[in-house]
Amino acid sequence: METKNRSWVYSDIVKEYFLNPHNFLMGDEELYACDAVGIVGNPVCGDQMKMFLRVEHDTIIDLKWKTYGCASAIASTSALSELAKGKTLDAALAIGPKEIASFLGGLPEHKFHCSVLGHEALAAAINEYRKKA
Amino acid sequence: MQQSISSITSPRLYLDNAATEKLLPVAQDAMIAAMRKDLGNAAALHVEGCCARSYIEDARAKVARLIHAQPSEIIFTSGGTESNNTVMETFRSQPIALSSIEHPSILESTKARASQVDFLPVDSLGRIDPKLITYKKYSLISVMLANNELGTIEPLEEIATNCHAQADHTTFLHTDATQAVGKIKIDVQALDVDYLSFSAHKIGGPLGVGVLYVRQGVPFRPLLLGGHQECGRRAGTSNTIGIIGLGAAVDWCWQEWSCKQWSKVALLRDELRERILNEIPYSSCNSPMRNCLPNILNVSFQGAEGESIQLYLDAEGIAVGTGSACAAGDLQPSHVIMATQHDAEVAHSSIRFSLPLDTKKSDIDRIMSVLPKIVKKLQGMSTIKLGAKHGN
Repeated sequence: METKNRSWVYSDIVKEYFLNPHNFLMGDEELYACDAVGIVGNPVCGDQMKMFLRVEHDTIIDLKWKTYGCASAIASTSALSELAKGKTLDAALAIGPKEIASFLGGLPEHKFHCSVLGHEALAAAINEYRKKA
Repeated sequence: MQQSISSITSPRLYLDNAATEKLLPVAQDAMIAAMRKDLGNAAALHVEGCCARSYIEDARAKVARLIHAQPSEIIFTSGGTESNNTVMETFRSQPIALSSIEHPSILESTKARASQVDFLPVDSLGRIDPKLITYKKYSLISVMLANNELGTIEPLEEIATNCHAQADHTTFLHTDATQAVGKIKIDVQALDVDYLSFSAHKIGGPLGVGVLYVRQGVPFRPLLLGGHQECGRRAGTSNTIGIIGLGAAVDWCWQEWSCKQWSKVALLRDELRERILNEIPYSSCNSPMRNCLPNILNVSFQGAEGESIQLYLDAEGIAVGTGSACAAGDLQPSHVIMATQHDAEVAHSSIRFSLPLDTKKSDIDRIMSVLPKIVKKLQGMSTIKLGAKHGN
């Protein structure tokens, strides 16, 4: 990876998804009607992610998220929300941490867990939906 | 919130001076001038060596003057970390007490060497209670003069009085004054400390140079062996250019240091604190209102993670520090905020402003033109329900 004269600690894609995040749920989550919610992480550890899914015919028709965490955590959930929207539940589940990190142009080694958390939050929401269904 | 135009048109506002200060023009000029001279190895007897040595001794005299020491009591090192390690090497295999909010260069170097390490508790503002220390138990007590994250000034004089009141004077006192030098007046006689460390780059000098004051007659063991430099107390060819830069920065502090100027910075810092607490919901202050360095303010914002705040501010052209674990390589929250607030969430959500001497009211206005929006956005997208614990 090119590091010479880099003025930002993360890739430009992480920067974009962090500064201008997509699909986040602003404010009161009660106001967003959804079919399933998944939550992982802990504020005490510095990262917590929550995914809200709307599902029709086994396909994610809409997805919102909330995240408490660092730039890579916000960018990971933001990117994952783009990647998962419109996909079947199985296809969304198949989006692994490596794919999220790769989509973002790479994450620093000590931040890779943010992409893992994103994947786990989505998986938790899908599992919750399947339990209900 | 899109990245604002102001970040493109305004010069950057650097408010992470506690991490490292910009090089003072006088230090830069002195070093450039020295680089153009034919300076030899300062240990050599020829003209080039003598010339380098005279620059070093000039810098040593300036450092001694700044902290009210004798030049012979000043050792040049590679920085605060080496100075701190040297003190701990001196007290290898002996019992040592530290404040629990020391810099890692104290914490880790002590843990690696001491026969026993006790961590002295601090209150919610980071202050040690000198009465709670059992002085006679320790060969060395090391308490920083001012904390780097909070700005808290520790009651060093009282600790020194108690320390040196031991009948046989076998408890010595070290202070890491890295953050305090250049911000408050330092007088090693008045403080009555045995060892004092600081670093050039925190006072506008270059990176890679530090100072260790060692009071005449106290125990000493060199950390680096293999040369007779610094009177046998620190082996290695002298960093003449760096020491010249340090000397210029120290001289600037001596000539230009003004309580009045830093008092103005403190007033602006106070204004920033009040505006943050009044204008940003769920904000809280981690720094003390009194007995605090004039330039440091540490605040937390419930629901907004520190690294995210830091990087949003960075995108707006403003550089600050954070106690967030995510910003650190080791993913551990600030041990300082953990020791004072006992709350990882508060630590993860903290940022530190460390203002320069030329801070202006317009700088505070600029911070407050973007910070409330940044925090509101991050709190809005956060999983944390606001108001559950801390905040206003």
